[in-house]
Amino acid sequence: MVATVGGVLAGLLALPAARALKKKFSTSPAPSGYDASKHKWLMCLDVDKCIGCGLCADACKTENHVPEASHFFRTWIERYIIKKPAPATAAARGEVLVDSPNGGRGGFPPALVPRADILKSFFVPKLCNLCEASPCTQVCPVGATFDTPDGAVLVDPSYCIGCGFCIQACPYGCRFLSPVTRTAEKCTLCYHRITRGLLPACVEVCPTQARVFGDLKNPLADDPLQAFVQENKVNTLKPHLGTNPRVLYANLDKEVR
Amino acid sequence: MSLQLTAILAEVAPHFDGYVYPNESGSHPLWGVLIVLYPYITGLVAGAFIMASLVRVFRVKALEPVYRLSLLTALAFLLCATLPLLLHLGHPERSYQIMITPHLTSPMAIFGFVYAWYLMAVLLLELWFDYRGDLVNWGRTEPGLRGFIYRLLTVGVSDVSPAAIALDHKLSWIISILGIPSAFLLHGYVGFIFGSIKANPWWGNAIMPIIFILSAMVSGIALCVFVYMVLSWRRRRALDMRCLDVMGMYLFYALVIDAAIEALDWIHRAYSAEEGFHVMEYMAQQRLFYTLSIGQLLMGTLIPLLTLGSLQVARKFVSDAIRTRLYFTCAIFVLLGVLAMRWNVVMGGQFFSKSLRGVMSYKLEFAGAEGWFLGLMLLSLPFIILTVLIKLFLSQSLLTSGHVPHRPDPT
Amino acid sequence: MRCFQMPPQVFRVVLLIFAIGVSYLVARTLLTPASFHEYGFYRGAALAEHTTRHEPVFAGKLACGVRHPDVLKTLAKGGHKNLSCEACHGVVSPQHLTDPTSNMDKPSGAICLRCHEASPSRPAGFRQIVVKDHYAEKCIECHLPHEPNEVP
Repeated sequence: MVATVGGVLAGLLALPAARALKKKFSTSPAPSGYDASKHKWLMCLDVDKCIGCGLCADACKTENHVPEASHFFRTWIERYIIKKPAPATAAARGEVLVDSPNGGRGGFPPALVPRADILKSFFVPKLCNLCEASPCTQVCPVGATFDTPDGAVLVDPSYCIGCGFCIQACPYGCRFLSPVTRTAEKCTLCYHRITRGLLPACVEVCPTQARVFGDLKNPLADDPLQAFVQENKVNTLKPHLGTNPRVLYANLDKEVR
Repeated sequence: MSLQLTAILAEVAPHFDGYVYPNESGSHPLWGVLIVLYPYITGLVAGAFIMASLVRVFRVKALEPVYRLSLLTALAFLLCATLPLLLHLGHPERSYQIMITPHLTSPMAIFGFVYAWYLMAVLLLELWFDYRGDLVNWGRTEPGLRGFIYRLLTVGVSDVSPAAIALDHKLSWIISILGIPSAFLLHGYVGFIFGSIKANPWWGNAIMPIIFILSAMVSGIALCVFVYMVLSWRRRRALDMRCLDVMGMYLFYALVIDAAIEALDWIHRAYSAEEGFHVMEYMAQQRLFYTLSIGQLLMGTLIPLLTLGSLQVARKFVSDAIRTRLYFTCAIFVLLGVLAMRWNVVMGGQFFSKSLRGVMSYKLEFAGAEGWFLGLMLLSLPFIILTVLIKLFLSQSLLTSGHVPHRPDPT
Repeated sequence: MRCFQMPPQVFRVVLLIFAIGVSYLVARTLLTPASFHEYGFYRGAALAEHTTRHEPVFAGKLACGVRHPDVLKTLAKGGHKNLSCEACHGVVSPQHLTDPTSNMDKPSGAICLRCHEASPSRPAGFRQIVVKDHYAEKCIECHLPHEPNEVP
């Protein structure tokens, strides 16, 4: 109701405003004043806040024009179901089941395991881990994938030869060979958005702040990233590989790989 | 909504058991038959070259009849070695960038240089110095296109004085010595492309380059046995049994070392049983049973090992005809076994998810860029090139006496 | 005294190697992209190209606030204060900017349930309902999405 009234009122504010708005938020080129050396972007994730709605995976596909098929994702959500141990085993926990139907894009169908058999269950959002020692950039034969000064790991689509070596080298399955460009593709932290002062699409639509995004060089007064690292004990994925991911996870279970 | 989900589940579910990352759940492996052929062909090159080096560097006189043949075999396969790589690229037209801006931390980037070094500085030079005197002579006697090709290949150097020929052979010998580490480098390098991937427990392994070198030697010697026998049969010429026996002996030794190192690799994997070993165990027992247990282990290793081993002991008691057949069978088994080994490495590393929670079951089809047909075509291409090379450089009409022209001792 | 004379075959080979080396260096100079090595071992121009590779699709909550400040004010008071407009209403289409009544999703119960349908995998503290025990997929008959704390 309020929205409708607001909408109509705003509509009466005539076209010039709309044009200005359109210019500001959708057709503007990247701000020429953007200086990559003055930022260090990072996204962190709180497993205990993710509700598995799948809006992020959906938004990512829309925002970045990721191929529709169910094996191309720049970000996705996994559901972990840890069953109760079988009665005779005297184990602390039972079998672990993981699934990610269509990357969690449409949300998750009811679990096939009866509720009574579930010991614990949770969702884990996944994306490029922004490794400090990224194996993907290490193995690229031509320097088509690189760590940017502002904290993203990008693929140069006009220089990538499409050998797939980086895809093999990523321990986290975060890359894919796009059938459209025939080059490697991956999460860019929505580089075209963050350089315009917008949030990455997944962070924008996340309803529970499970995804926390910020700039380590210019933290805002109420920067969620600062609060996140102060309040949580954090972990990374596959730390034994020495890739040293910058993406931190709060409340991560040992079963998550 | 739920209907859509069911459809998606039905589409995705049959591809795998357990959980695989969504980006791994496509219907094809990222690297297919072409990438299986790439280390296979490169290995054959390195092996055939080492085989030739036995004559030059280690003075194994018995192998003289196959010296030039092995070098030409190595050349024919080397000319095709980059083709599968090139064809599998998303953008083959950008492949030159590997040479222009080689990323020094990438195990793949330097391959262009290693390849160029091996092709031009080692193989072509050794062949040229070895053939130069002959090329000049043939260029004078042969008419037409054939003579023109020989004259072209002399690059205008027509000095065939004994001193010049002696220098040729000395240089050829030096290049041959340089060539052995180069052959090791070439194929060890290919092994490192896989061995350096720490994300993949099937590949990430320090002895992967060594395993690749050893299996390359095995396959290269087997290829030389195969090519030599086929060529002799086609020319209806008697096989040199001494040469064949010595090749069989070297094949046996190479197999022993190769089998020992590969066994060591598996023992180490099984004993340390690091993260992900259960997946590899499952793969070895289920997904790769035919190519690993039957192809690589039984056919490619155990049968040739036992056959060649017994021939080492009881050579005198086996007639030439049976020995010939046994060598031929062993060579083919070894060639197929090493092909199975390359398959197991390349495909095995992609059949399980890097989440270590699931196994994919890709289908490899007949047609298409990564299909069987193209693979077979690529595999027959070096044989076609070899036929041309043999017609040009090992033609019977050119070689008046015996298998090789008189060669002065390089020292 | 005669100078050392290189044997002709060696001379040809050296010449050839030299020619190959020189042509490689020339090709490298010509073919290396201009901005390579600007920031590191990659095409520096790729950074700027990435910023303009796509236009942003999601306009962001701030953009909506320009013309719907009252809605955002209402929203900020309740439990949905951290929710982005486009999470429920869908992407702001270009048509919506010129014709505000067009092309925005009117939220339905399905959108509410995407988050609030009970699931053992959801955090325990998160508000969830088993819809069939509750009422039906008609949440907004009773609840106000912009003011979820206003219990009917």
